[in-house]
Amino acid sequence: MVKKRIVLVGGFHKARSLAGSLIKQGYAVTAINDDRGHCEELAEIHRLNVFNGDGTKPYILEDASVYGFDIAIALTGRDDDNLVICELCKKKFGVAKTVALISDPSKTEFFYRMGIDSVVCEITSVTSIIEQQAFLDEIATLVPIGDGRIKISQIPIPGGAPADGRRVMDVSLPKSVLIGCIMRGGTGMIPRGDSVILAGDVLVLISSDEHETAAVHALTGR
Amino acid sequence: MPHGNQKSDRKKRSFTVVVGCGRLGAHIASSLSDEGEGVVIIDMSRESFRKLSTSFDGMIITGDATELHVLEEANLAGASALLAVTERDNTNIMVAQMAREMYGVPHVIARLYDPERECVYQEFGIGTISPVLLSTKEIGHILHPEPSPAEAEDVRTW
Repeated sequence: MVKKRIVLVGGFHKARSLAGSLIKQGYAVTAINDDRGHCEELAEIHRLNVFNGDGTKPYILEDASVYGFDIAIALTGRDDDNLVICELCKKKFGVAKTVALISDPSKTEFFYRMGIDSVVCEITSVTSIIEQQAFLDEIATLVPIGDGRIKISQIPIPGGAPADGRRVMDVSLPKSVLIGCIMRGGTGMIPRGDSVILAGDVLVLISSDEHETAAVHALTGR
Repeated sequence: MPHGNQKSDRKKRSFTVVVGCGRLGAHIASSLSDEGEGVVIIDMSRESFRKLSTSFDGMIITGDATELHVLEEANLAGASALLAVTERDNTNIMVAQMAREMYGVPHVIARLYDPERECVYQEFGIGTISPVLLSTKEIGHILHPEPSPAEAEDVRTW
């Protein structure tokens, strides 16, 4: 069977992590990155083809010979670049499926309308996972992002915990920790500084992994 | 205050939105304004509006034109034309496509420095201008004012 071919354009950390896992799953993966240093690091991944250049330029995509690839994934930090990458891949190079990462959720509909097959918005993906996970009663890491350095975890608040009955702004959390959502009675709310945390709530915490433990302690006493 | 706005909206039913107040954007916006046309100019940097002529009397918006709320502020749905002339080709492409697809602006033009991308985007229903191709053509005209014998031949055979 012919291996499915995937091209990843831009996005150093995301490309590295995706490339590793896709190659393991048996795909033939090509990465294009305009930063030479990033390319050198990507090239250390076994069996990953790496091209240095601006993937929004047709001749770079041609150099990487992405003609007829199965999937193109645009991972740069700019929405406009990701749009152009996907459009070029689809219309000029006949790539079957295009995936674009976007940072501005209000542009999702526009990207779909322009023929992008899959639009992934970091913010909305996180929110939807949070909704799905509403009823877990243990501390669980939901999503590691950025090579696992950032974690999204859910923390149940037991009765008598330090956070019980206190406002979000009165809980002393480490600086790099954010309460992203308070799940209560099956619904989620995005907290403000004056939202009160109650026993029985499940908090969704976004934190760097080094501060997660301290944050859990400040909230639950454990 | 709202009365004044409504009145001027009604008066200027058709206007041009210029995205990017660089040399080209400022020049076009200024000359359209001097001709009495309605103009809205958008740029991220307040400084850039200094390039507009002193007589410019269009609307000025400081903001990122790739954000929908900025385009709403410019009332893009009521515009008769949009010119995307920022320094970045991909920004111009995206703004032009947003204007065409989301707001149905009848005339949409993007300036693209890279002529290779231009070939692709001409098929997408947005007008493109490329300084490289325009200059090449113009230089050709200056150097060879008469059609070459080969071209003349072509015309005859058709």
